This record gives sequence, C-alpha cells and structure tokens, in this order.
Amino acid sequence: MTSTLKGITLKGSAELVAEFFSFGINSILYQRGIYPPETFSRVTQYDMSLHLTTDDKLKTYLTNVVSQLKEWLFDCTVQKLVLVVTCLETNEVLERWQFDIECDKSAKELSAPREKSLKVIQDEIRSVIRQVTATVTFMPLLDTACAFDLLVYTDKDLMVPEKWEESGPQIIHQSEVVALRSFTTSIHKVSSMVAYKRTDSA
Amino acid sequence: MEMDDETTVFTTLKSFHAFIGRPDLPKEPSEQPIGGSNLQTRYTQAMEMLEAAEKVRSLTEANHLDQEKMQLELSHKRARYDLEKVASDSARHLEHELDRNQELQERIKRLEQREEDSAKTHSEQLQTNRALHKNLHDLKKKVDERDMTISTTNQTISSLKDEIRELKQTIQKQDCTILAKNLENQSLQEQLDQLCRKRQEVNQLCQSHQSSQNSLSEHEIKIKELERRLYLQDQDIALVKTTRSHAAKVQDLDKEVCHLREDNAYLRGCIKNTGLLKEEVIEMRNKLARMEKTKEDFRLNEKLQVWENLGQSTGLNIRKPEDLSREVIQIQQREMALKEENNVLSIRMRSTDRSKCQLQGETLQQRSKALEELKKKEAQDSLVRRLQKRVLLLSTERDGMRAILESYDSELAHTEYSPQLNMRLRAAEDIVRKTQNHNAEMEAQLNKAQEETGTLKLKLKTVSVQQKIEDGERERQRLEQRNYILEMRYQGDFDPVQTRVLHFKLNPTDVAKQQRQQEMEALRAEVTCLREHLRSLKGAGSLSSQDNPNTVSQALSLCLPPSQEVLGNDLRKQLESSQMKNQRLREVFQTKIQEFRIACYMLMGYQVDITTENHYRLTSVYAEHMDDSLVFKKEFALSSPGPPTTLVTFRGKG
Repeated sequence: MTSTLKGITLKGSAELVAEFFSFGINSILYQRGIYPPETFSRVTQYDMSLHLTTDDKLKTYLTNVVSQLKEWLFDCTVQKLVLVVTCLETNEVLERWQFDIECDKSAKELSAPREKSLKVIQDEIRSVIRQVTATVTFMPLLDTACAFDLLVYTDKDLMVPEKWEESGPQIIHQSEVVALRSFTTSIHKVSSMVAYKRTDSA
Repeated sequence: MEMDDETTVFTTLKSFHAFIGRPDLPKEPSEQPIGGSNLQTRYTQAMEMLEAAEKVRSLTEANHLDQEKMQLELSHKRARYDLEKVASDSARHLEHELDRNQELQERIKRLEQREEDSAKTHSEQLQTNRALHKNLHDLKKKVDERDMTISTTNQTISSLKDEIRELKQTIQKQDCTILAKNLENQSLQEQLDQLCRKRQEVNQLCQSHQSSQNSLSEHEIKIKELERRLYLQDQDIALVKTTRSHAAKVQDLDKEVCHLREDNAYLRGCIKNTGLLKEEVIEMRNKLARMEKTKEDFRLNEKLQVWENLGQSTGLNIRKPEDLSREVIQIQQREMALKEENNVLSIRMRSTDRSKCQLQGETLQQRSKALEELKKKEAQDSLVRRLQKRVLLLSTERDGMRAILESYDSELAHTEYSPQLNMRLRAAEDIVRKTQNHNAEMEAQLNKAQEETGTLKLKLKTVSVQQKIEDGERERQRLEQRNYILEMRYQGDFDPVQTRVLHFKLNPTDVAKQQRQQEMEALRAEVTCLREHLRSLKGAGSLSSQDNPNTVSQALSLCLPPSQEVLGNDLRKQLESSQMKNQRLREVFQTKIQEFRIACYMLMGYQVDITTENHYRLTSVYAEHMDDSLVFKKEFALSSPGPPTTLVTFRGKG
C-alpha cells in the first residue's frame, strides 16, 4: 500500500478500491447465500468482522478478476463493476449489484498524491459494506440455485485480455432499484446500487 | 491232603529204607580191603547220622503237621461261621419269602375279587358294547349318508375351487395389466408434467417476449417523442434567432408603436361605432328572422294549394291520399321494371367491357407479338442486307474470276483448258458452298448470342435484386445496432459506442450452467438406461410369469444396476451377521436354561417340562420311580391367565 496517512496516489487508490471490491463481493456472496456459509471464514477488516471464502475455485476466480480490475483501475479505463446473480433453473437475472466507478483521469498525468487520509476512506468503505449487509433485510429470498458473474464495463478502446470476453449487460426486466452509499478516494469514486427482480407480491 | 502228606512221608521212608538196604550187598567187597572195625564205626556213625537226620526230619514234619492242623482248624472254624451265616440268611430269606407269600396270597385274593368285579363289568360292558354296536351301525349308516353328501359337496367344492383358480388367474392377469397400465400411466404423467413445465416455460418466455416487445414499442415511441422534441427545440432555436433579429429592430418598432397607438385611438372610436352597428345588426337579424317565418308560412300555403291542385295539374284522378299512394305504387312498380332493365343493360355493358378488356389485352399481346415480329423482321432484314453484301462481294469475286477465266480463255484455246476450267468451276462452287455453310453457322452463332444476351439480362436483373436485398439487410442490421445503442442510452446503463462490457470466461455462472447441463445429460442417460431395463424386464416378465414367479425376481436381481447390487450385498451381509448372532444367543440361552433347570431340580427336587403346548409335566426327585410324573394342562381363560389348574393324568410304574 503506497498510500500514507495523509495522501493517496493513483496506485494506492486502485489497490484500495480493488480491496474494497474483494471484500464487498465476498460479503455479498455470504449475505445472499449464493455459496454455503460454512465455506466462509471470519476476518477483521475495516474495523469490522467480514467473511472471506475458503472455496479454492472461487478464490482463484476472484483473485484473477480483482487483479485485472486493479490494472484497469490504475489505467482509469473501468467504468462499472456489476455482480449479476442468475437463477440456474430459468437463466433469469435476479439481482444486479452495480458499482459505478468514476475515475479522475487527471491523476494519471499528475503524480502528486491527493490529500485524503486512509482512515476517512476506510470509514466510508465500512459504511458502504454495512449498508450492503443491511439490504439483505428487505431483498427477496433467493430460494433457487443461483450463480453469480462479474461484469466489468470498460472503455471501448481497451484491448480485451486473453481470458476475458464480451458479454451482454444482463439487465433485469421489471426491477426495483435501491441506491446505496458511495465512497471516494478522491481519485476513484465508487457509487453503489442494487437492482433486484420485482416479485409478484411486492 | 493228609493222605498226600502221609504218602510223601512214606515214600521218603521207603526210599531211605531202600537206600539203607542196598549198600549191604556191595559193602562186603569194599569192607574187606579196609578192615572190619573201621567199617563198623563208619556204619554206626552213618546210622547215627541217619537217625539224627530222621529225627530232624520228623521234628520238621511234626511242626509242619502242627501248622497244617492249625490251618485246618482255622478253615474249619471259618467254614462253620460261613455255614452259620448262610443258615441265618436262608432262615431270614425264608421268613421274607413267607411274608411275601402271604402278601402275594393277599394280592391274589384281591385280584380274584377284582377279576370277579371285572368279569361283572365285562359282562356289563359287553351289553353296552352290543348297544354301542347297534348305535355304531346306525351311525355308520349316517356317516355313509354324510360321506355321500360330503363327496358331492367335495365335488362342488373342487369345481368351485377350479373356478376360483381360474378367477384368480384372471385376477392375476388383470393385476399384471393394471400394473403395466399404471406404469404407463406414471410415465405418461411424467411426460405430461414435463410438457406442462415446458409449456409454462414457453408461456413465461412468451410473456417476457411480449413484455420486452411492449417495452420496445414504448421505447420506440419515447424515442420518437424525443426526436420530435428535438425538432421542436430546433424550431424554438430558429424562433429565438428570429426574435434576436427582431430585437435589433426595436427602435423602428418604437416608432411603429407610436403610430400604432394613434391607430389604436382611432380604432377605439371605430370599436364604439361598431358596437352601435352590432346592435343595429342584431335588430336587423331579428327582423330577418321574422320575415323568414312569414315567408315560410307563405310557402306552406303555396304548397297546400299545389297539393290541392295536383289532380288538375297532373291530369290524374287524385282526390284522396289513397289515390296518391296507389299512383305512387304504380310509379314504383314502373321504376322497378326500369331498374331491372337498367341492371340487365349494365350487366351487358359489363360483359362487353370485360370482353373489351380481354380484347384489349389480346391486342396488346398481338401488338407485342407484332413488335417482336417486326424486330425479327428487322434482324432478318439486316441479315439479308449482310447476305446481299456478301452476295455482292461473291458476285464481284465471281466476276473477277470470270474475267480471269475469260482472259485465260482468250489467251488459250477452248479445247485445251476445258478440264482446267471445269476444275476451277468446281473449286468456285465449293467455295460458294463453303461460304453458304459459313453463313449458316454465323446465323446459328448469332441466334446463340441473342439467347445468351437474354439470359445475361435475366442474370443481371437477379444480381441487382440480390444486391438490393443485401443492401436492405445491411441497412436493417445497422438500424438494429442503432436501436440497441439508443435503447442502452435510454436505459441509462451504458453507451455501447464508448463502452464495452467484459466478463471472465471461466465465470462461476458458466461453470455452474455447464455442470448443470452435464448432470442433466447424465440423468437423461440413466433414465434411458432404466427404461431399457424396464422394457427388457417387461419382456422377460411376460415370458417367465407363466413358468415361475421366482425367475422374475431373479431377473430383477440380475438386471439391477450395480449400485443396487452393492446395496443388496450389504443387506445380505447384515442379514447373515444378525442370523449368526441370533443363533449364538439361542445356544447360550439353551445352555444357561439347562443349567438353571438342573440347579432347580437339584435344589428343589422338582422338574417342570413342557411336553406340548399348555401341557406341563412335573417330575420329582423323591418319586419312587424315575418315570413317575404328574401332567398338568392349562386351560386358558383369555381375560385372566391363571396358573395351570387341571390335573390330567398320572403316569408311572409300581
């Protein structure tokens, strides 16, 4: 981590945001019950107790995606990260956790660190993850077998890496949208929202 | 014994005397050489020694005899004692025998009494026997009758049993068919369920499709609206521009405003005048209305008069409305007839029109044919012209040839060159023929070329149409893409022009879907395999159910898939182990209970055995005989199982 207590660089910001995504995705997967709870272990991060997966396949997948995302964050070419939850029986998209990323591209030229302390950023991140945890109370129960996918919205001029491919946006028809908190490292601003399929009872 | 002893003593004495008597004879010759005295002494000494020896022997013999005597006395005493003992025993035995005799005599007496009693009872029993025989005879008769009835009933029963067996067989067959039907039913229901599920899915898809179409149409409408708004905004912008240009003319406008104010004042005056005029107009209108009313009244009066004078004017005999209606009917009938005529005429006209159209078409065709013919004629004319040209060329050539020939002729005599001329003539004719052939070929080629141009034109047309179609397709794709872009923009998700959506190839969703598909395939394969099994089983079942039901189960067990076989093996092992355990427990129980029973017998002196159900045999250690026993039977009262109460028999000897 290159960020100091007083300032933050582009690289440090990219690492912080990537770390947030790693923990955020893990906690969404735990909270929404997409993977069984016994495959998660407790860790303390951002002064709170979080869950990290112990499933080896999932771990390698997440490290692959997050490391690539870190590169894109550093290049300021990423616009969005979307976690799509799909029902395996009907191939229907049930949930869409969307994280809009606004990159300050001027930070690429100016190497001077921005003045924002790590503690403040981590406080913001903590509140975002808390809100993610809280949304579970009102979201509909996922009572079918589900799988998730991570979509990354990038600039059009970007070269597609070898292990990646283009995908559709996988938008939910007739969805309820709840905007969540946002946080900023003063270089990357991440605002989050969740869209879920409207149930008949709702 | 004593005799024996005596004989031995006597024999020894005899032998001694013989010994002594014998040496007397040979002593004389031997004594003579030695001397008489010596012999005497020696003889005396020997005699003395013999005497001493005899004394010792007699003493030992006496001792021996004493001992023998003692022994004999002892044996005598023992014999006597024994004899006495035997005597006493025999006396006791005798007494015992006497006692027994007496007992036996008493018994005999008792038995005799019993015999008498039994003889009496025997005679009684004989009598009863006879009565019973009679009864038996009667009963036998009855039994025979019953047997007859039983046999008949048995026959009926057997026939009924046969029927029952047949019915059972039919029932079994029906059961089999029912089972088969049930299985079919289940499979069909499963298929039905699957179809229902598929139908639901399809319905859902249809619904989603419809909803998406609806949303698409909505979006399109919105897009159009937005475009319209954009257009309006453009118009507004144009307006703004014009207003700006107008703003420049404000000063002029101010002057105009002054003028207009003046005009305004003038116009206000005018408005007042117009108000007055309007009032006048209203009055005039009222007047006009009144005038129109009076006018209408006049008209009505005139019409009435016309109606009244109708009879006179028309020359008809119309006096009443009925006459009028009659006239009207007549007129209508006429009208109808005229209409019919009109229709007929119009139909004729139409048919003529149609024929005219046909004829026009035909004329058109004919014209086109004529045109074609003309074209052909032109083509042929051109051909003819070309041929004429050729002919001209040929004739010129021929003329040239002729000229040459003539020059030859003029140069040479007729007779000498006639063969050459003939040759040349032939050659020229050949050339003419060749040219004619060539012409024909050229014409054929021309025709071919014309046909080819026709086909080429068609091809060109089709190619142009295809190109148009392709262009249309490209246009459609472009529009679709644009539609997608606009849709995405509208939804606010992303702009496909500037953004692309990426995801990792090996993402969990794809992996899960693949796994799911594989599972589905495996399940399908298993289902087909099981179906085949079932089919084969059905086939085997239908064959073997007639022979033996065990073979069906065998076939079942054979056709079971390996997992079930393993399960069956496990179960079999469990069964075997439990059976072993059971047997061991039984053995242990047997040994233990035997021990317990023996202990009871030894301690209490009684032993209880269960001979048959509800029969208990009690044997006692104190019984006179080992076989003595008491047998109890337990009479069961279902409500209160009490102790075995009824004594049935007493078995035993003595």
